[in-house]
Amino acid sequence: MQRHLFKGSKAVFLALYLIVMVFPLYWIVITSLKPQKEIFSFPLKYWPTHLTFQNYINIIKISKFHIYIFNSLLISISAALVVVVIAVLSAYVLARFKFRAHKHVMLGFFLTQMLPGFVALAPLYLLMSRLDLINTRASLILMYTVGLIPFSTILLKGFFERIPSSLEEAAMIDGCSRLSALIRVIMPVMLNGIAATFIFAFVQNWNELFMAVLFIDDESLKTLPVAMNSFVMKFDVDWGAMSAGTVLSVLPTIALFAIAQRFIVEGLTQGAVKG
Amino acid sequence: MAAKKEKKMLLGAVAGVLLVGVLAGCGDNGNGGSNEGSGKKVTLRMIESLTSPARTAVLQEMIAKFETANPNIKVDLISPPFDQADNKIKTILGAKEELDVLEVRDSTISEFSNNGYLESLNDYVKSWPDYATVVDVAKSVASLNDNVYFVTNGMYQRQMFYRKDWFQEKGIQPPTNYEEMVAAAIKLTDPSKNRYGFSFRGGAGANGVPDAMIQNYNFDNIDHDDSNFLKDGKSMYSTPEAKQALDLYVKLYKEGSPKDSINWGYQEQVQAFTSGVTGILLQDPDAIPSLMEKMDVNTIGTAPMPKGPSGKSFTATGGAGWGIAKNSKHKDEAFKLIAFLSSPEQNTYFATKTALIPIHTSASKDPFFQTDMYKTLLDMASKPDEFVNLKANTKYPGIGQWGQVAMESGQSLLLGKATEEDTLKKWDQFWADQKANLK
Amino acid sequence: MNDDRPSVIGRLQASFRNSPRGFIFFCLLPTLVLMLVFTYYPFFRGIVMAFQNYQLFDLTNVHYIGLDNFKNMFEDAKFKFAAVNSVYWVFISLIAQFTIGLSVALLLNKRFRGRGFFQGFVFYPWALSGFLIGLIWKWMFNSQIGVINDLLLRSGIIHERIGFLSDPNWAMASVIIANVWYGIAFFAIMLLAALQSVPSELYEAGSMDGANGARKLLNITLPYIMPTVITTTLLRAIWIFNDPSIIYGLTNGGPAGSTHILSSLMLDKIMYSGDYGAASAIGILMIGILLLYTIFYLTVTRAAKLGDF
Repeated sequence: MQRHLFKGSKAVFLALYLIVMVFPLYWIVITSLKPQKEIFSFPLKYWPTHLTFQNYINIIKISKFHIYIFNSLLISISAALVVVVIAVLSAYVLARFKFRAHKHVMLGFFLTQMLPGFVALAPLYLLMSRLDLINTRASLILMYTVGLIPFSTILLKGFFERIPSSLEEAAMIDGCSRLSALIRVIMPVMLNGIAATFIFAFVQNWNELFMAVLFIDDESLKTLPVAMNSFVMKFDVDWGAMSAGTVLSVLPTIALFAIAQRFIVEGLTQGAVKG
Repeated sequence: MAAKKEKKMLLGAVAGVLLVGVLAGCGDNGNGGSNEGSGKKVTLRMIESLTSPARTAVLQEMIAKFETANPNIKVDLISPPFDQADNKIKTILGAKEELDVLEVRDSTISEFSNNGYLESLNDYVKSWPDYATVVDVAKSVASLNDNVYFVTNGMYQRQMFYRKDWFQEKGIQPPTNYEEMVAAAIKLTDPSKNRYGFSFRGGAGANGVPDAMIQNYNFDNIDHDDSNFLKDGKSMYSTPEAKQALDLYVKLYKEGSPKDSINWGYQEQVQAFTSGVTGILLQDPDAIPSLMEKMDVNTIGTAPMPKGPSGKSFTATGGAGWGIAKNSKHKDEAFKLIAFLSSPEQNTYFATKTALIPIHTSASKDPFFQTDMYKTLLDMASKPDEFVNLKANTKYPGIGQWGQVAMESGQSLLLGKATEEDTLKKWDQFWADQKANLK
Repeated sequence: MNDDRPSVIGRLQASFRNSPRGFIFFCLLPTLVLMLVFTYYPFFRGIVMAFQNYQLFDLTNVHYIGLDNFKNMFEDAKFKFAAVNSVYWVFISLIAQFTIGLSVALLLNKRFRGRGFFQGFVFYPWALSGFLIGLIWKWMFNSQIGVINDLLLRSGIIHERIGFLSDPNWAMASVIIANVWYGIAFFAIMLLAALQSVPSELYEAGSMDGANGARKLLNITLPYIMPTVITTTLLRAIWIFNDPSIIYGLTNGGPAGSTHILSSLMLDKIMYSGDYGAASAIGILMIGILLLYTIFYLTVTRAAKLGDF
């Protein structure tokens, strides 16, 4: 009886939650399929009278969305990969060794999260200009990497700490170097943590707007958030284009979640076998 | 397999460290190299501020024509999103990053010239024949302290848009003065039908309507060279007439506008009109494309701006245009581009495409501006005694803050958290401070 | 370059075997260099403005003014209001995001039909940028043309339109709702990843002891993922406190400053007033508050023997 009640309330919670979560997405998808005139016609229509893909055709043909999607993918994936590599190293060291500067490094990480970034934007632009990185994809890859190292390290450190150090000690007795023990023995066990870090980094990069607006000039190098921001005009928000753009920008991330989910599960089962 | 992976990982890590080294190394070198000496071809960097995807396309088309006519000049157009554009321009200028042509607005001219970012164009326009046909208003909005800082690319001026069908339904005429406008707005308002009279804007840009009303209520005393002040040097917010105007303004919000509009900006204000929530909109001509795209054109009427008690109305003309950055290395080429974009032919084309008022006298004959939507603006221009042009007051560098101050204190007033007297006192103080700080 | 590689790696590996110090240094170097050059350096360049008269519209008149920016800040009624709002903003958002996020993660940790489908919809808000969230919710919250009022009216829940963003009694609640909606996914993802690393033997042992669901959660699951809980709640509190983008997009602090938090007030000073001095002063104060909070939080949680900072 109690069990049923619990299950029932669980189902209600899930359903309610799903409705609240999904409704905005539903509204955006529906808007993206409405013709321009219908988007703001009253009474509001919860289903378009004329379904049209014109908004999608427009943003690809006129706004060249495929270019922005490519740039965003390239920049977000590169930066996320570099972040994972760098953060795995620093997280491992911070999880396994106690050294004099340990506390200071950790504090340094936490402190970066507290700095209000907007104050630093102008000096950062100056720095990028000195380094001749203005209007390059590298500027964004670099800054996105920098921005995500602290959190990724803190996150991965937690995962390393859950793995007993006897694991790599055994491997090192077998003749592995510490680095290869890290890569060969430990990383497979914590694939779920790495996947979570990667997803997190990717998504943050995928959404970043302010630096992308500031550092990139050429149309051919612009990223998705910048392109979407340009649908906000002086007197108008082009909701047809904006909603179609939103749908296109959410799809890759949802696909990534789906793929990564498999990794997370895989990491789990591997961990269970080894443990 | 694992060994290969390991090598790749290590390589990545090493590459990362190397990258850092290289970057840090670059930092010591200081100034980045400039791309000079590659033949005689000059590349101009140009940035726009009032960006929209459609406008950018028009600009690019015009630039392409320029490049064909001038094979030695290449133009890189930077089009940041409208929302962020002025901030990006300020950052570029502040960092002294290369920039040749930039879009200066009436709202930024004072700040940019004050910081020494802008080249005076006085000598350039002297030797430019087309400048003779540029109308005075376009010249005055682009100059400050006897210096021309930009060549206007389009002007905007408010007019009244109203719902013809709603007015017919209620049997009322389009209002000619502010009293009538407020009365009409109240009549049109019917919350049960989700209909409201006036497309009010209490958010960004909220100062537009109260400023215009207070100016018109002080009509005879306004200093035409310093339009927030009276001829005796006091601010226009200090008079009993200002209080009258503000009374009416509060009434307009409370009885004739949606409650929600206290936080609306430009976009919501226009959206409310296009969605059939509001019946009267005071806006610039560049809102017209939005209206035509989303509404049944037969329902839209236009009328001149409302008048004050004097039976006259000030018209304020705003504008933006192309200026040259002080540290540009290619100023002659930059002006060549500006002159091309501002020729009667190109400017008129640009104006029709972006729904702005063109700058050359000849252009108003263009059939495009004879259509219903624009005719009212021409009518207003043809009666300069009734619709008196008031020079935009752009000389105060701190003017950018006015919008923010007026918005916040205005919202307090509309919410009933501040009295009209206190609000006017605050506004009076703001402008008195501006005047005192002016060098 | 290609020829060098084996020897470089070989040498590195050899040196690591001999001294962990070299290894530690090698692993931390990229992080430290990047952080110092691209985070701290620009920040300190920026933050000196707190002690200057630095107005964007008058850069010819930049000079040091000592603590005047701070003095002005503390005298500003808007600032006090924003500081109080920040507290509501952070704690209500954080508690709601965490509770719902944890529930979702726990549910998703078990297999059920349609789990993958469900998951995609749990996570997608995270895939939208803050500015977009602001824009979308601003549109939906609009009392005249927004869909939320329309839905509530049609379903008969309300009879009069609600000014979600224009009524000062509602505005703060509305921006918090949007923020909660946005932030649940973060906790759901992070806590799910942590839950999946709980070794199944722990549960098996628990089952043998006859522990029921709630007991297992309290005695096994929560303690195991506690480090993740502590770091994520701490970081999330910092981020929520620091991120103005949702408020900037939704209300820009209005009406009449009723939804300003410290970070949106700071952004306001930068974007609209161009007063970098005032903005940096607020920035410094925010760092101070966060540092105190962090120290307090870590001390409290460590006192409970849970943290592992």
